[in-house]
Amino acid sequence: MRGFRFWGLVPAWGLMVATLMVPLVIVALVSVAERGAYGGFAWAFTLEPYKEILFSEDWDGNLVFDPKYLAIIGRTLALAAATTAICMALALPVAYVIATRTPRMKAALIYLVTLPFWVSMIVRVYAWLIILGNDGVVGRAWAALGGEGTLLFTSGAMLVGMVYSYIPLMVLPVFAAIEKLDPALLEAGADLYASRWTTARRVILPLTWPGLAAGAILVFVPALGTVLEPMLLGGGKQMMMGTLIQSQFGGARNWPFGAAVALVLMAMVVLVLIANARRAMRKEARA
Amino acid sequence: MKTKLILGAALGLVLAAPAFAGGTLNLYTWSDSISPDLIKKFEEKTGITVNVDGFNSNEDALTKLQAGSSGYDVVTPSQHFVKIMIEQGLLEDIDAKDMPAFAQVDDKWKNQWWDPTSEYSIPLAYGTAGFTVNRDLYKGPVDSWSVFFTPGAELKGKIADLAAPDEVVGAAELFLGVPFCSEDKAEMKKVYDLLKAQKPDVAAYSSDNIENRIGSGEVAAHFWWDGNSLKTRRDGANIEYAMPKEGLVGWLDSFVVPKGAANVEAAKAFIDFMSEEENATVQYNYYAHSSPVKIDLAKADYTPENAPELFPTVPVTFSQACSPAAQDLVTKVWTDLLK
Repeated sequence: MRGFRFWGLVPAWGLMVATLMVPLVIVALVSVAERGAYGGFAWAFTLEPYKEILFSEDWDGNLVFDPKYLAIIGRTLALAAATTAICMALALPVAYVIATRTPRMKAALIYLVTLPFWVSMIVRVYAWLIILGNDGVVGRAWAALGGEGTLLFTSGAMLVGMVYSYIPLMVLPVFAAIEKLDPALLEAGADLYASRWTTARRVILPLTWPGLAAGAILVFVPALGTVLEPMLLGGGKQMMMGTLIQSQFGGARNWPFGAAVALVLMAMVVLVLIANARRAMRKEARA
Repeated sequence: MKTKLILGAALGLVLAAPAFAGGTLNLYTWSDSISPDLIKKFEEKTGITVNVDGFNSNEDALTKLQAGSSGYDVVTPSQHFVKIMIEQGLLEDIDAKDMPAFAQVDDKWKNQWWDPTSEYSIPLAYGTAGFTVNRDLYKGPVDSWSVFFTPGAELKGKIADLAAPDEVVGAAELFLGVPFCSEDKAEMKKVYDLLKAQKPDVAAYSSDNIENRIGSGEVAAHFWWDGNSLKTRRDGANIEYAMPKEGLVGWLDSFVVPKGAANVEAAKAFIDFMSEEENATVQYNYYAHSSPVKIDLAKADYTPENAPELFPTVPVTFSQACSPAAQDLVTKVWTDLLK
């Protein structure tokens, strides 16, 4: 008889295999299958979809190195990185203010940070469509201040939407880290004639770094696969990996290529996670 | 094929909550396309519970059906996708020509190229794709696609295309005189060059929320459909649906039943119900697109006088089912445009 340690974990393993491993294997298999004429796929091993990421036929029918998909990947990475950086910069002071309030106030503020999650993501992004639009609060203020053109359908609008959507995921772990911070350490810093800036840099930042790193992962990873903000706020003028994958399963009728791009996206996510895990392990080894 | 089936089944197990139950009918239609009053009436009359899901592009509908176990009983794709779905074996043969609904269909829509023997589909609505201008912002003529594709100063930066190439590329082809579904690279390069030159003047490529964008003047010209433009104009927006001399892109949506649908009988009952003259009239007034089935003209809201959008004065060319080679060129135009 195997004990509870085995049987107790069976449901978890079952769930992992059925909802994670099996779909992943299907995606991997589709990515090396032959495309069907009108979407779908046929079984026949080919690496064509992966080749397509780098090479494509130009308008004269020559197979040439074509960086267009690399450009899309690069743009997606840049947008996700920018979102993460801005979220970090904004979340640190916000989390600090929350962490230093009275317990009652703290609970209320944390509740407010999580409040947007009660509303559908699509509705929240649509709200920005109205806010930034010509008749919206920000749009009107922009025009009144003599701003040129519209704010909507720009990279800036897209970035605003992304930061807004993901910042709670940064505030929460950073808040948890700051809360654990011992105020005595700050006082010790002050006693040793450290300026406020030095205290922030030498004491607060290193001690809250695990929270920032966790937040960065939570923001960066979903930001890589984002579809809504580029389409609604960015005006869909430039493809991101998410929209590229979507179009391959839809209009382009090229499922294997869509699956291949999806795996590349996933590989990028896994690399980020591995890098983070290794850094954490090195830190532990040092401690 | 067998492994594909097993995989499909596995995928089905993983993703789909099977929708059996004799008393429900699952519709997958263009978003907001079916009159809610009619759905309520059908539910009351038959005791069947109706669920409605919406799609915004034919490609979405095709992909859902290809993935298998969609759980839907009725879908409403456009003509070229009906043809593809029939060829791919995705549809149930419902003997459409023997259904009471078929007798209601205008003869010119019977036995068309997408369903030559009328086994699979009953038409529901038809219309055109073109462009709409906001008359508060743009005063010039709207008699040619050149207004849209090669905009003058008034429209620069104030144009919006749809998010998918399907009809936009078709319209560009009409303007350039390139045949639909061309497999000629040189011809499709011209389409690409046209759209590429238009891009700096395009504010957004989006198929959502068009009413607000064009109605509120966020953009001054928008690629759009006839009936939607009509409805928004009647709601008070100062807009006009263009009649470009090069022609409009035509579409016709039909009711079809996906292969393996759980409730084929209810699906057929619903299609017959929707095609009855009285109900088709309610549907016409709700959807504001032309009706391919008989309606009661005395009760119809839209006439050539108050709804010129629905009665085009220029040639209409229907979208075709492109060969894979031609479709790849359409995709290339679009990916290179948005890369």
